[in-house]
Amino acid sequence: MAAHTTKICLSLGRINGPSFGQYASLNRATYATALSTSNFTGNKGGPDRGGRGAFVRRPRREPGEPRTEKMDSQQDWSAVYPSAASFRPGSVPLPVRMGYPVKGGVPSEKRGNLELIKIPNFLHLTPAAIKKHCEALKPFCTEWPAGLDSDADLDKHLPIRVETTDYVSAGPSVRNPAARVVTLRVRLSSLNLDEHAREKMLKLLGDRYCKDTDILTITTDSCPLKQQNTDYAMYLLTVLYHEAWKTEAWESEMTRADRREYIWEDSASQQNVLDTLARMAAPVPGEGVGEGEAPPREELLARPEVQQYRDSVTQLKNEGESEGATLRYREAVKKLLSL
Amino acid sequence: MQIKTEIQMYNNKQWLSSMWASAWLFMGLRFTRIVCAMARISSGIPLLGLRSLNACRGHRSSQTLRASFHRASSLALTSSQITVTDEPDTLFQKVSVLVKGHDRSVLDSYEFFATMAAKELGITLGNVFESPKDVLRLTLLKSIHIFKKHRVQYEMRTHYRCLELFHLTGSTAQVYLEYIQRNLPEGVAMEVSKIAVAKVPEHILQPMWEEPTADNAPSPTADLKG
Repeated sequence: MAAHTTKICLSLGRINGPSFGQYASLNRATYATALSTSNFTGNKGGPDRGGRGAFVRRPRREPGEPRTEKMDSQQDWSAVYPSAASFRPGSVPLPVRMGYPVKGGVPSEKRGNLELIKIPNFLHLTPAAIKKHCEALKPFCTEWPAGLDSDADLDKHLPIRVETTDYVSAGPSVRNPAARVVTLRVRLSSLNLDEHAREKMLKLLGDRYCKDTDILTITTDSCPLKQQNTDYAMYLLTVLYHEAWKTEAWESEMTRADRREYIWEDSASQQNVLDTLARMAAPVPGEGVGEGEAPPREELLARPEVQQYRDSVTQLKNEGESEGATLRYREAVKKLLSL
Repeated sequence: MQIKTEIQMYNNKQWLSSMWASAWLFMGLRFTRIVCAMARISSGIPLLGLRSLNACRGHRSSQTLRASFHRASSLALTSSQITVTDEPDTLFQKVSVLVKGHDRSVLDSYEFFATMAAKELGITLGNVFESPKDVLRLTLLKSIHIFKKHRVQYEMRTHYRCLELFHLTGSTAQVYLEYIQRNLPEGVAMEVSKIAVAKVPEHILQPMWEEPTADNAPSPTADLKG
């Protein structure tokens, strides 16, 4: 008790300090949030009960010195805070201060400090405690297989990626409806598809396929449960795959306009080029070529300027018009016509 | 801790032999460890509690495993909550943990805890970064009646922290995430995004239709198998 009073005196900066009971009222500035640490001794001598069986309140025991005084510096801290608990000033042997200071003052001490109690503390998760926990958890973990260390290996052996999200929060309900969304990603190059199947697959996929990365993305959220959505995504992949391999009778009626990409071979542009070159070549009789007979088609098509023209036209048609593409086309035409 | 040693050894043996057989045959022989009792961890006392799963052990273990378990159990150790099953372990290429809270210092401490736990458990930690905070501001009238010029403003700040973990097995992910989530402080929310990797299933390896004939017009329903 004496030691406690002395401490209070030091904090007030006076030697003849007030008695313990009147501490709160004499302090220059008190926080409204501070917990009441004084005991009300006023009740003892309160309203005089007179002769009616004088009710004496049970004499209140003085609180002993806090546990922090008796703590050893080498103690096992995980025994003091084995799990998450609010801050107890008597159990934490640290001179912690918290709170916005008054003018000319310092943040309040830890005794009766509501701010310290409100904020979540990590006293139960000291590095020593974390090591202990992880030691106990280690046997439940398994190792990552050694043959799959790089992304290339993963892509080769395990090409399908299924992405799911879980949510943890406090609220009236632990469920989160966004947790049912499942996204399945797979590279088309890892599936067994032939030319026709790939074309048909790309037509079926539409926006779900990314040309740059060759990744098909299927996002499902129509079912209420995550497991159902993963099953549905796998089902969609299966159906797409098998439908792509099927050749229907009406597929033979496909026209050039139905094609996904522009192909220069057998197009009007190719015909035009061949005609133009033939007319350019005709007045010059070549050796072994009869008058009026154009050089053979294959030879014309194999010429590098024709190849360049083919590339530039394909790029213009498939990727749209851009400055670079138009310039390439211009260069190709100039070379073709020998301008 | 003899049981654990034996299980480790058994697992390693099985695992090595399958690895030499082929690069990915291990998938059929991965073992799942089921976490039986987490209560003992939070109490801070190791190896407490006996929620035995003898039923599980009997059904799913293989012959040799049963033999080693018999040997182990005859040593009369108090507990091993580890059950090793034959079902293949899921593999996660990436697990991304995003924590959200109103107090940045709480998230700082939590990040220290989570990164240390990952290091202790031997998990490959990728990028640990902080996204810029989101502030939701409301401007309301200060008075209940008139005084339109006098308003009061409130704001709610949400801070973020993201941890990326790579190359985790299903068991390890389950253990780590449960540990992390049980120690999530009050007022902090978490979103866990997992990318699981899987083989191409058998039914997608080959098309189920017969090879197209020279006539090139098979009817759609003719070749359907069950």
